[in-house]
Amino acid sequence: MSLASSIRTIAVWEMNRSMTTMGRGVLPLAAGLLVLLVLVTAFAAESGIHMQDGIYRIGIDDPDVARIVDADTRFTVETVSGPALWNNRFAYDIVVIRGEVYAADTGKGRAALTALKRDYEGYVSRIAAGEPDLFAGYPLWIDLEYVKSEIDFLATQSGQQVGAPANAREPPVPSGPVEAVTLPPSTVPVHEEDLRQHLAGMEKQNPLSRYTGIVSSGSATDGLRTPSELSPPLPYDALILVFVFIFPLYFTSQFFMMSVMNERVGRAGEALLAAPVRPAAIIVGKAIPYFAIMLLVSAAITFFIGAPLTILLPLIPVILFFLSSALIIGMAARSFKELSFVSIFFSTLATSYLFFPTVFANTHVVSLISPLTLVILELQGEGFTAAGYVYSTALFFATSAVLFYAGTINFREERLFSEKSLTSRLMDFVAGAISRDRPHFSLFLLAAFTIPFVFMAQMMLLVLFFNIPMPLSLVLLTVSAAFIEEVAKSVGLYAVAGERPGFLTPKNLLVGAAAIGFGFLAGEKLLLFATLSQITESIFGSVLFLSLQVLWMPLLLHIAGVLITGTFLLAGGKRAYVPGLVVASVVHSLYNLHFLLGGLV
Amino acid sequence: MNARHIGIVAKKELLGLSAEKTIVFAILLQVFIAMFSSFLMVGLTAMYDPEALEGYSTATYGVGYAGADSALIDEFEKRDDLILHRMDLSPALAALRDRKIAAVVYVPDTPPDAEGPVAITLYLVQNDLQSSVINVKIKEVLQGYERELREVRADRMTAFPVGLNFPDAGDAESFYEFVYGLLIPLLVLLPAIVSAALIIDLITEEYQRQTLDTLLSTPITFTEMVAGKIAACFAIVPVQAGAWILLLELNGIAVANAVPILLHVSAAGLFLILLGAAIALHYRERTSAQFVFSTGLVVVFLLAMAIPYNPLNIVVRLAVGTAGPVHWLILLLVSGATALLAFAVAAYGRRVGKISPTAVR
Repeated sequence: MSLASSIRTIAVWEMNRSMTTMGRGVLPLAAGLLVLLVLVTAFAAESGIHMQDGIYRIGIDDPDVARIVDADTRFTVETVSGPALWNNRFAYDIVVIRGEVYAADTGKGRAALTALKRDYEGYVSRIAAGEPDLFAGYPLWIDLEYVKSEIDFLATQSGQQVGAPANAREPPVPSGPVEAVTLPPSTVPVHEEDLRQHLAGMEKQNPLSRYTGIVSSGSATDGLRTPSELSPPLPYDALILVFVFIFPLYFTSQFFMMSVMNERVGRAGEALLAAPVRPAAIIVGKAIPYFAIMLLVSAAITFFIGAPLTILLPLIPVILFFLSSALIIGMAARSFKELSFVSIFFSTLATSYLFFPTVFANTHVVSLISPLTLVILELQGEGFTAAGYVYSTALFFATSAVLFYAGTINFREERLFSEKSLTSRLMDFVAGAISRDRPHFSLFLLAAFTIPFVFMAQMMLLVLFFNIPMPLSLVLLTVSAAFIEEVAKSVGLYAVAGERPGFLTPKNLLVGAAAIGFGFLAGEKLLLFATLSQITESIFGSVLFLSLQVLWMPLLLHIAGVLITGTFLLAGGKRAYVPGLVVASVVHSLYNLHFLLGGLV
Repeated sequence: MNARHIGIVAKKELLGLSAEKTIVFAILLQVFIAMFSSFLMVGLTAMYDPEALEGYSTATYGVGYAGADSALIDEFEKRDDLILHRMDLSPALAALRDRKIAAVVYVPDTPPDAEGPVAITLYLVQNDLQSSVINVKIKEVLQGYERELREVRADRMTAFPVGLNFPDAGDAESFYEFVYGLLIPLLVLLPAIVSAALIIDLITEEYQRQTLDTLLSTPITFTEMVAGKIAACFAIVPVQAGAWILLLELNGIAVANAVPILLHVSAAGLFLILLGAAIALHYRERTSAQFVFSTGLVVVFLLAMAIPYNPLNIVVRLAVGTAGPVHWLILLLVSGATALLAFAVAAYGRRVGKISPTAVR
């Protein structure tokens, strides 16, 4: 059979099988649940979400004032006469007596005060919107314009004062050439009725409608807003995006994971392995239906919210990443509960990698490391460049490719049906990638292949740490980045030492360490120049990718790190691995800190 | 049913959990979520509550002012963290591009009492953390100016709002609601959801690996087996939720009424676990059971959240100390529903055990 036809056969077979196991009992119930879901959603939209009901206690002496917070379920309102209220004031988070607001001096009191202020603003706005003379109620309209400035990442490094803290009373003089700008018009270019409708629309707004507002852009008001509408970009958009796009993808990948797992339960997949098809064909064939379903689901969502189809482009690497990790988890888990926990853990990691950078989608360049940011930018109508696409998706493509490869070479009987624990099984997978004839060349390649994972982990740390105050964030980043690199470098040695006890001789260790050092450096350079130049220019970049300035120094460092861990392994066996890692990481961090401080002073 | 048999099964499952280190993953998972919540806290604090971060509170920002004179200048004068520079628009925008100033406002020569609105243009740097900080500060200034303009145009207004005087509280507290209204209920209910997913794995695995025959050849009956698994899953719910509350306390987030919260979480957790067990007994196959359960879970949660005084809300109210005795009534209701479900599952389990305990569907 040719590769293409065997892939097709497997894909069709996979479709049929999963449809029959799922079909009979599940589909009617799933349809019923879907109907229920729609009904419940409608009910929830009608009744509202009662999550934070009654968290504040407020005492008010005037029923007219009490009406301001009537609609806000967060407040439990008690209308009491003034003197009684004052005597009992400590029982409340806020008391309002004769128009004076008193808040308890606690975190809760201040939070209640903020909530009350917002309600009051809304109430004042409602009154103003009812005015027959709109511009008496809303005399001030703001047109918000964004100016692009090129020095993004460098200028906004963590905790540092960003940009322009001005002490001088003198107006600053621009250093570059001054372009002449036409003055904005002094009149509002929008019709009064449109503005009134815009305000009426604001009334009914909830977090969800904000989101649909982004999608169906081009409101009649042309970006004009009142001062109270002026707000920094909210992260809820990204949160909702995660649920709308990522959740179905994650869900579908679970079916693929389960399908892989089912091949192993009770050795069910033996027949498949005995068939005259290559493992690659089996894996690709099994994955294709799920890939197609995920793409279709995303396309359907895109179509449903009326977004451009180009947002599917950044989703493709995400789909591949989900599928490839589902494959590995499905192949490695020992039992169902292990499968569940590992997949939940993994999905949380992946979701946070995707989600948290997007919080800063309109705020900071660091957001670009998540493909979802591209989705947000596209939805906002800004689009993304080819370079931006490469920048935020390259790691996803690279890691999925490596994971699929690892799955393919280990899709063999002795790996699939062994009853070892999760970690030793994963180690087997790694060891499986190391050839017996040319182990050092394999170690070289393996080190190069770990680079995308190392970068991904380090990117995640960057996102975690970049808003912690400056010196601390640098130290944390340096140490943890060193640790990750040492783990990645030594994993090949560890695996091969476990599988082939005789392999780890002093001579092999020396040659292996050199091979790993070279491989690591080669992979690092290759991927770095292709993608991450934006981050490498910042101080965080110099922590993570210090190794690029001079070639032989980092090479020696990489080799030394592996040698340290390897020597521990050689001398103390598996139990010495973790201490070895710690020592290697300390050496690595000291080296990095030395150069960093040298560079800074 | 023999309590000792149930205990044996429960112990076996708990040992299995620790042997496979799945519990380690569960804990890692929760720690990870906590880590990222703290990330969210710091990151969002920087955005919404600029004063909260030391680095920002001392900073003063330059703002370019172009166009006609207006009362807005006086509003800016009131702030000591914003320094106004009178400039022409073109050099001001160039300086903004160089980041020598943080924002530019352009004010047209519309008189305050004009027929039409005053349309101000505000320029900010795109894609920048600082813009969010400046945005918050300038918003306050502009709101002050809006109040001023409303006063000037007051004779054209027909209705007047009730006046309220707010104290100068200084720092706004933007994260209280996030922590108490979202994070805490989420964290304490997470173990319940995890356990419910776990019971499905435990039951379907016996079917799919065909280990049920062996298990039932011992004196343990089918119902005892199911009850033991349920007990194991249930036992870890309050432990994990309690650990969360303790961790939050260590982080300086005081959670009131820890014991009642644990009671509520346990009751709700048992309800979800029983639901999972029923689904698993019906399907006997993990993919279908997990799929139906997770869809059902979304329905249950959405429905619960849409009802006032739902268990999630009760956890929130308890945590902030505004629950009142009504929460005991809710606990009674949830426990009652759980007991009913338990009877139903027990009956169903007995029937399955009698007719076809080991048949795979």
